[in-house]
Amino acid sequence: MTMLRISARLLRRGLGGTLMLLLGITLFELINPVIGTSIGGSDAVQGLFDQLPPGMRAITQVQPDFFIQSGFAGFVALGYTHPVYFVLVSSAVVGFGSRTLAGEVESGILALTLSRPVSRRAIYLARVLDLGLLALALAAAGALGTWVGILIADAPSDLSARAYIMLIGASWLLAWSIGGLVLGASAAASTTGRVVGWATGVLVILYFIDYFAELWSPLEPFGPLSIFRYFDPVAALVDNRIPLVNLIVLAGVGIVGVVAGLLVFERRDLAI
Amino acid sequence: MLGFDDEEVCARVSRDPDPSTPSIAASPDHHHEPALEFRNVFKTYGSIAALNDLSLNVERGTIHGFLGPNGAGKTTAIRILMGFLKASNGTTRLLGLDAWRDGVAARSNVGYLVTADALYPDMSGNDQLAFAADISGRESVLRKRALDALELGPDALGRRLGTYSKGMRQKLAITAALQHDPELLVLDEPSDGLDPLVQQHLEELLRERQQAGRTVFMSSHDLAEVERTCQQVAVIRNGGLVASGTTKELSRQYQRTAIIRFRDSIPDGIDQLGTVVSVDRERKVIEVRIGDDVNPLIRQIAKEDIASLAIREPQLQDVFFSYYGEADNASRPETSPPGADSK
Repeated sequence: MTMLRISARLLRRGLGGTLMLLLGITLFELINPVIGTSIGGSDAVQGLFDQLPPGMRAITQVQPDFFIQSGFAGFVALGYTHPVYFVLVSSAVVGFGSRTLAGEVESGILALTLSRPVSRRAIYLARVLDLGLLALALAAAGALGTWVGILIADAPSDLSARAYIMLIGASWLLAWSIGGLVLGASAAASTTGRVVGWATGVLVILYFIDYFAELWSPLEPFGPLSIFRYFDPVAALVDNRIPLVNLIVLAGVGIVGVVAGLLVFERRDLAI
Repeated sequence: MLGFDDEEVCARVSRDPDPSTPSIAASPDHHHEPALEFRNVFKTYGSIAALNDLSLNVERGTIHGFLGPNGAGKTTAIRILMGFLKASNGTTRLLGLDAWRDGVAARSNVGYLVTADALYPDMSGNDQLAFAADISGRESVLRKRALDALELGPDALGRRLGTYSKGMRQKLAITAALQHDPELLVLDEPSDGLDPLVQQHLEELLRERQQAGRTVFMSSHDLAEVERTCQQVAVIRNGGLVASGTTKELSRQYQRTAIIRFRDSIPDGIDQLGTVVSVDRERKVIEVRIGDDVNPLIRQIAKEDIASLAIREPQLQDVFFSYYGEADNASRPETSPPGADSK
């Protein structure tokens, strides 16, 4: 019960900023199907895509005939591999992860709970619970935007309930894996700035490894090291599945980050 | 100021806790143990020793002052006590339980004063107190009494903490620390930011808790406050205990000071009266440490033309400054440790 009280208190902190990011994700994913429909659906998009110079097509990393084969769902899925989506999700998760633990050590607020009969483990697990809920909210916000966008645009094809569930699952796994790493860093740090700097640097590196591994052969062997490699909204929306390897890697990265953070947090000195 | 006789009354009362107050000891098995105990505690950061073989016992039912200059190790000791830091070596016990290993159980009977900045700025005062009570798992039996004493009214409690002054936040933090009537109160600079009247009310509140059998362990830089409030005092320096005892015992280490102002000039041979603390020939004033018997002094100076004579009783600050001195010579007063000759 104490853990739930702490969890609720944490979620209320920074709620305004989190809600704005959720709204941003919803709007971004809402616009995507509206644009696709206004252009004329997946066939028209494929036509536009084919007119791009080969170099530009390579940069988009979209396979030839992608829109013909994946249909409207494939176009919608591109809204989830867009850098704007990654930035919005990462901002929410890094913001939460740095604000909690490291931010609370920095401000001294952690002393308020830690001076009570509350274990460090309970304090930490309350943050893990909140991370899980935040990741769920981020995933649901995107799916909600897509659903509303398809309704508004009167899109040529709808997505099945299973597709939405898979989309939410894949998005949750991405946010969870990022969050696990950030929470682990936050458990070891004593300032918000250090966590933000570390997390931003690592995420940018991982993103570019994934992106350029497709374009530049020397980087190709490093592609599997990026968590973004295992986020596949096309599989979720088009094939209505989450590949097992993606599930294992993303869930595993999050769990490793969270467990490492717990081990550190239970043992470290807290200058509060 | 609380006199020595009053302290003895407090000490007697402390051994007879308020029977109407329920027993809230961490565990009956540990009730006979000191409220807190540091035993050969070390804390090092690389080559820096923040605590260096600190040993200290705080008996239950007392108000215990914890003094020391900045950087002496007070905050480190309190953080170890609260389980925020792990000692490099040694044992720290809180209400009979290991402060690190059994900290959760021990802290169920502890009220800790967080710094005024360590409160949720987005919460109202009422919500802050409710949250603190929730996670303490205990009823806030003393909330109203504390709020009344500290003069924190309903209007202020309904506002967000972001609108509070430092003093108001301090009042709220004190209330959060003691609202659940803990067995042990750990207060780091409790009067920081409080006006003198509220400070006086706080001291009364602490004495009231002590008379109900509770223990208060407080650090302060306000020596007058410590002297008024505490029966026991520990002085820490360079991470180790340098003095400990009742305020009376510590003050007795020092002799009284006679401050004599002559009308004409300071006569020769006056330094035979005792240890001369200072001589100001321009103002014709001399300060001399004297023993318990004032008569030799009176007899010696009776033949002189005296403008004024004052006898100053030894004070806690004399003790404190004697240990403070080497850490901060600039702030050292014209007093010396026992046995020192300042001629």
